[in-house]
Amino acid sequence: MKKVLLAALIVLMAAQAAIAADPTVRLLTDVSGVDDKSFNAAAWRGILEFYGDSLAKPSKKGSAYDVITAQTQDMYIPNIKQASDEGYDLVIVTGFTFADALGEVAPQYPSQKYLIVDVDWVNHPNVMQATYTEHEGSYLVGVAAALKAKADKIKNPKFGFIGGIPGAVITKFEVGYVQGILSVLPGAQILDYYANDWAKPELAKAQAKNWYDSGVYCIFSAAGFTGSGAIAMAKEYRAAGKNVWAIGVDSDQYEDGLYDAAKGKSAVLTSMIKKVEASTLYALKAIKAGTFKGGVMVFDTKSDGVGFSDKNAELGKDIVAKLNAVKKDIISGKVKVFAKYADAKASKGFPQNLQAKDD
Amino acid sequence: MARRAAGLGRGPIVRLAGSDAAMSVLVVILGFLVGTALVAAVGRDPANMYRAIIQVVSGFDLTRGTWNARYIGEWLVASTPLVLCGLSMAFAARAGLFNIGAEGQYIVGLTVAQFVAFYGPPVPILHWVLAVLLGMLAAAAWGGLVGFLKARYAVSEVVATIMMNYIALYLSRYLTMLIPGTNTYKTPSFPATVRLGNAWLEGLTNRSRLNTGFYLMLASVLFFWFLMEKTRTGFALRATGFNKDAARCSGIDVTRSTVLSMAISGAFAGLAGCAVCLGSFGYGRVLAGLDNYGFNGIAVALVGNSSAPGTFLAGLLFGMLQSAQPLMQSRQIPKEVTYIISGLVVVFISLRSGFGLILEARAKQLARKGKPRDE
Repeated sequence: MKKVLLAALIVLMAAQAAIAADPTVRLLTDVSGVDDKSFNAAAWRGILEFYGDSLAKPSKKGSAYDVITAQTQDMYIPNIKQASDEGYDLVIVTGFTFADALGEVAPQYPSQKYLIVDVDWVNHPNVMQATYTEHEGSYLVGVAAALKAKADKIKNPKFGFIGGIPGAVITKFEVGYVQGILSVLPGAQILDYYANDWAKPELAKAQAKNWYDSGVYCIFSAAGFTGSGAIAMAKEYRAAGKNVWAIGVDSDQYEDGLYDAAKGKSAVLTSMIKKVEASTLYALKAIKAGTFKGGVMVFDTKSDGVGFSDKNAELGKDIVAKLNAVKKDIISGKVKVFAKYADAKASKGFPQNLQAKDD
Repeated sequence: MARRAAGLGRGPIVRLAGSDAAMSVLVVILGFLVGTALVAAVGRDPANMYRAIIQVVSGFDLTRGTWNARYIGEWLVASTPLVLCGLSMAFAARAGLFNIGAEGQYIVGLTVAQFVAFYGPPVPILHWVLAVLLGMLAAAAWGGLVGFLKARYAVSEVVATIMMNYIALYLSRYLTMLIPGTNTYKTPSFPATVRLGNAWLEGLTNRSRLNTGFYLMLASVLFFWFLMEKTRTGFALRATGFNKDAARCSGIDVTRSTVLSMAISGAFAGLAGCAVCLGSFGYGRVLAGLDNYGFNGIAVALVGNSSAPGTFLAGLLFGMLQSAQPLMQSRQIPKEVTYIISGLVVVFISLRSGFGLILEARAKQLARKGKPRDE
């Protein structure tokens, strides 16, 4: 009986494969789902783009691709197993919270292909792991902040960095940002602060007020929701006529910084953009072309995985042009950006007293 | 006999309303009917909803024509904490207390189990037994404290338990992060000796996570039934629940009953925490939010009429809905449908007394028209 069923399943799957040239994919998310305006939403965008669908009208949802949201963490393993049972060409899980579950399930389904984002330690031949060179994107926004300070002829500008919880991930942001600033203004003073929380904007806001009052020109936050406090403070001060800036992270936070929407005035000078959608799109293309393989895939400036936003008009054409030149230098390898504090510290003139931590 | 036969002609509906169990079944069916109508109304095929449910309880995937026992195993895994938290709520309810704190007691049990996992003796069997016992004990103390405040100082157990939930959550986060090697998300892996994994159950269910926690849940159902229905202590608890003053006048120690019922109630929820933590996870978690098993337990106990067998069946029902959710999503049924069904069931259950009144009035009307009564 079981064999007959299995044969039937294989025939069915073969028939399916013959009809549909496009691969099938399932996205598994945590409880926040694809409406989280952030990580999951970006992964979902990549899938929609691959199939030529739009967010408002996902016409191939249910036939070519779909999404399952886990309500609790203990559903991760059963959900991955279920997706693997159901014969998708690719199963995508978002974020490091899925790493343990995937690490357990992937060896049990050696012929199932998986993609996990932001993780590089689930080493199985059927798992593609997408990581991002956030330090390169942070370098670019650091350069942007310093160039803007120079253009505004600020005397002895200071720069702030607000982190979430110290660790290797956030260190990439801080070190890249600081290196970017110093590449333009070698002697600039850098301040940093860790909120030790991803969801306490009030802490970032209090710190930002403190800093802006004491002459800090620009603050870059890589602290999740906490960072929105710094943007809120910059908004208040810019609306009151003070020349200070905030920098957004992950997605383009230009809209969040709008304090005069009619004139398009935003307190977010630029944002460090990390395109999660690039990795889902890439993996799907690889499946379609038959080139999918396990291992770590790095999404960097070159593959347009990270970058900066030029949406704020006040950044100015000159600076954008200069930033694009720096981008080219990063791609060509002329500029090497540090990802670890230990490496950065060893370079000449790099601040020795930052709170950044390598794991 | 003749009287009974005559009574049957009039009475089945009225008698159904009188029977809490039948009423629960009726209400569940009603919930599903409305859920089905909703799925149809949003233009999806309701048959897919039932295909998902069939796959959960039988392992048969009618869409693909496959069978996989793992789905049954995962159903029982999901049901285990729901039954236990249901028992927690039900036990307090039988003694006249409204324990909203199962969530917090669950967290306390889970947290203590996580600590024993790292600091207990890594001896097979002894290790997990110790983790479970201490977890239950701590949760019993957590619940019992509220019982004491209620009995001694007349502090509302509803308010106290709600507040204790959040104390438990943040305390758990703080303490768990003190375990060496813990980041903001998880602890290192547990030693194998503390895990509730059960090779036999896993083999039976095609490598599901079904574990010893399932046995502990079954034992808890039996314990609940025996203690509540067959012992003097249980009688004292029930008497306190029916009428505190009458119980006191009959020589029952109401303070003791209140503390005891909250403590045992807490122990059930604590066991749920241990079962999830040591059964479903291989590492300790720094809780980012509530798992909600404790709160769902309230609904389980309501549907189960706060009886041991009823709560067991209701827990299996809610576990079925939870496990069916991803399978429904896979068939393009919105995940919210399962919430709507369980929500409707709870609402209908709450209307039960209303239903009863209406039916009783109808029966009286019929009786006035000269139909025979069998009371």
